[in-house]
Formats: sequence, C-alpha cells, structure tokens
Amino acid sequence: MTTPPDSKLQTHLNSCVRCGLCADSCMYYKAYKEAKYIPAAKVKIVTAAYRRFPKKKISEKMLREMVDLLFGSCTMCGRCVKHCSIGVDIPYLVRKGREIVAAMDKVPSSLQATVDAALRSGNNMAIPADEFRDTIQWMEEELQDEVNDPAACIPLDQPQKNIHYTLNPREPKFFPLSITAMAKIFYAARERWTLSSKFYDVTNYGLFSGDNSAARQIAGNLYDETHRLQADRLVLGECGHGTRASRWEGPNWLQTACDFEVLSAVELMGEYIRQGRIRLDKTLNQKIYTLHDPCNLVRNGGLCNELRFVVQNAVVHLVEMTPHGVDNFCCGGGGGNLAMSEYNERRLKTGAIKAEQIRQTGAKVVITPCHNCVDQLIQLNHTYKLGVEIKTVAEIVADALILT
Amino acid sequence: METLHINAKTFEVDGDGFLTDPAIWNDELAQQFALADGIETLTDNHWAVIRMIRSHFEEHGNAPMVRTLCKETGLKLKEIYELFPLGPARGACRIAGLPKPDGCV
Repeated sequence: MTTPPDSKLQTHLNSCVRCGLCADSCMYYKAYKEAKYIPAAKVKIVTAAYRRFPKKKISEKMLREMVDLLFGSCTMCGRCVKHCSIGVDIPYLVRKGREIVAAMDKVPSSLQATVDAALRSGNNMAIPADEFRDTIQWMEEELQDEVNDPAACIPLDQPQKNIHYTLNPREPKFFPLSITAMAKIFYAARERWTLSSKFYDVTNYGLFSGDNSAARQIAGNLYDETHRLQADRLVLGECGHGTRASRWEGPNWLQTACDFEVLSAVELMGEYIRQGRIRLDKTLNQKIYTLHDPCNLVRNGGLCNELRFVVQNAVVHLVEMTPHGVDNFCCGGGGGNLAMSEYNERRLKTGAIKAEQIRQTGAKVVITPCHNCVDQLIQLNHTYKLGVEIKTVAEIVADALILT
Repeated sequence: METLHINAKTFEVDGDGFLTDPAIWNDELAQQFALADGIETLTDNHWAVIRMIRSHFEEHGNAPMVRTLCKETGLKLKEIYELFPLGPARGACRIAGLPKPDGCV
C-alpha cells in the first residue's frame, strides 16, 4: 500500500497535545474510567502507527491494541470533536488508523464478513434477488390493505422515476414493516418512485472497516444504479452511516460529484410536509415520545433541526433527552460495533448511558431515523428493562398520515 | 472465545452469545437460550419457528427471510415479533443455534 501525502492527517495528528479535555465526552471513558479509553489515547496510538507505517513494521502487540482501541472502543460518533478545544477530527484519525488495520488484514471478522457480503452480492446480508422481490410483493399487499386501494404499489426497477429509494437490508430480511411505512408516505404524496431489486442497500461498511477500495465499490453500486434507473434523486433510507457514506464520503471515494440529488428520507419527509404533499394528524400519535439522534445524521450530518421539524409534526408529546441534538450520546452501536460480536459486552455496558437517558425522559416510544440505532436500542430496551417501543421516523409519520 | 455453562456442560459462543458451532445445538440448549431472553416456556408456535429456521439453515447455510418464516409457519409478522422480543435475528436465530447474521442486527 502506498500512502499519498495527507495534510489533514498530519495536521490533526500533530495538533493533539493530549490535554485530556475530551475524556468525559467519550462514552467508553465514562463507562470504564480507564485512561486507555480517552479519545486522545486513541489519537496517540494512531500517531505512533503512522510514524512506522508503511515503511517500518508494526508489531503484533501494537496491532492488537489498535484493533481493540480503534474498532472495539470507538463508535466514531464524533462527540469528542465537539469537546476538543481545537477541534481535532478524532473520528477521522481513528478511521485513518483503521485503514492501517485493514491494509494488514486484521479487521474484526464479523465486520469484514458484512463488507464481504456486500461486495459479493450487492447487499450486506447477501439476500437473493428472488427472495427480495417476494418480500416486496408481500409488503405491497400489506400496503394495499392498509390504504384500502388495490392499485397501491411498491415499484421495482422502474426507470425514469423521480426517486430511487434505498433500504437497509435488515428491513427486507427481518423487519419489513418500515418499507410499507415509507411506501405509504410515497402513496400519500403521489410520488413517482422506485426500488432497485439489485442495488437497494444504503449501508456501506467499508466506511467502518477502513477499506477504501471496498467503500468505493459499494458507493459505486448506488451511484451507478441511480444512473441506470435514470432517477432524478437518490433518497437514502433511514441509516446514519449509509447516509454519510453516500452523501458526504461517496463523492470523495468515487472522485466525482453526483449529477443527481442525494438526500435523506428525513429531508424528503420534511419537504412533503412543507409543500403540503402529505398532511399529518399528530393526535393519532398520542404516547410520550423521545428522539434518539443518530451521530452520522445529526452531529455529523446537519439534520438536527430538520429531524425535529418532521417529528414535531407527527407527535403531540415529545420529551427531549439530556443532552440531545449535536451533543447527544451515541447509542453504542455505531462505528460498526453492532456488527462486531467481539465487543458485545462492552457495547451493552457503554449503552447504559443511552438507556439511562431514555429512562429519564419517561417516554414510551423512542424514535430514531437509523436502523442500526434501532437494533442497538432494542437490545438496550431488553437488557435494561426500559419497557419502550422503538420506531423509525417513517413509521411515526405513516401512522399520522391523513389519506384523502 | 466466550463460553456458556448449562447443566455442567460448556458451550462455545461468540461475544453476542450465538453458538460458535451450530452443529452442537439441541432442544435443551434452545430452552436455555430462550430462558436467558426472558421466554419462560417455548410454545408450539415458538418451536414451529425454531424448527423452520433450523431446517432452512441446514439446507441453505443462512437464516431465512422473515417472509419465509411467516409463509412456512402460517404465523403473522406481528406474532413472530411477539414470540421473540429480541426479534427474528437476535432472538429466534440465536435460540435456533445459528451463528449471528451479518449486518445491522
């Protein structure tokens, strides 16, 4: 591997003076109170690694420490950046550290398996196309029942539509009702849209494995498919890292700007509400709700206000967590951690911070626009006996729709 | 490698508590996994789901789509979620002794 000069890497590595102000911002340090979990300590090992890499050898011991600290003890949530007095981009440095680990073939096997499945099959759960089509047809029948219209549909592979919509593979595989929810919103908005039966996967675990060539190939799948379908807009389903990978990182990996519009499903729902294309009756959602901010959509994605605009239009009682918005804590499953069985125990222990935040709100439903967060929150709900339901934004909006 | 101790026997599991070797799975182990997930008794409907996941895994080497689960067992989607509070993947597939599915589960 050749490493081109990277001025950002050098600047940020050299700027961290290990002052330690970042310590209390990190959920791993808060949960364990061990110095090795302080974000600055993670910067330190990346600095040491880049002093050697690629010219000198990195020892097995150091590599093991890098895997444990950069994969198993960091969700790349970026909360430390907001608490760093000089704004060192620590998740960027952690990602650069992961690149070394990836180049040495030491990415944790469960995370690598997820990347490999996406490269091999076009989706990270290796769902065969016929089984995907069968599930979509099933959900189309659910939609027709729900809106009482036999003409309601979930279009597949239709060219020249306004929107190419994308999914997290866990939706068709295990939790398909969120597909019907979004289809109901498209139905109400009279949208011209389509799914692809081949490249619908919004995730890109190359972002987290540190393998830029894999990340480029996966980002290229959606880019090329949007062209093939001749769609005007690529709409990213509710997925934090996938939105970041397609919208912000993708053009860098592909070395090209997108010549179609790329936006998240949250922004699209906001647009429908503003333009009056959908009408909501928030009194249909009467429980007490709270909102979990996915790091890659809110702190690192700019959707803090738009997310609240949509949710406030769909529910009556919203109780915010403390802290929330750009200072919110990660669910604990970010950075690829949900996919890595190796760190399950640690993930549930750091997740206690989020569980306590939820408990303090007294909410009965947690809304979050990220399927990865949803799964971690389901586990936290079970482990810490929170007694809440977890919903996506589309599910909440679909429940409040007035169909005319 | 993590281990799980049930009735003086030791089983190897991954960090998420999924069996490392799906071949050693048996009914007793399923009951123990279920108990750990807060399912006191495995009903006929639970077993129908578990058996279907098992046979699909033995034939195809992976977990079935939830669509296939509903079709083969005749259960509604809502019923599957009620039977297994941790969902079809972390709940049902773990109890059925499968390795952890890849992706956001």
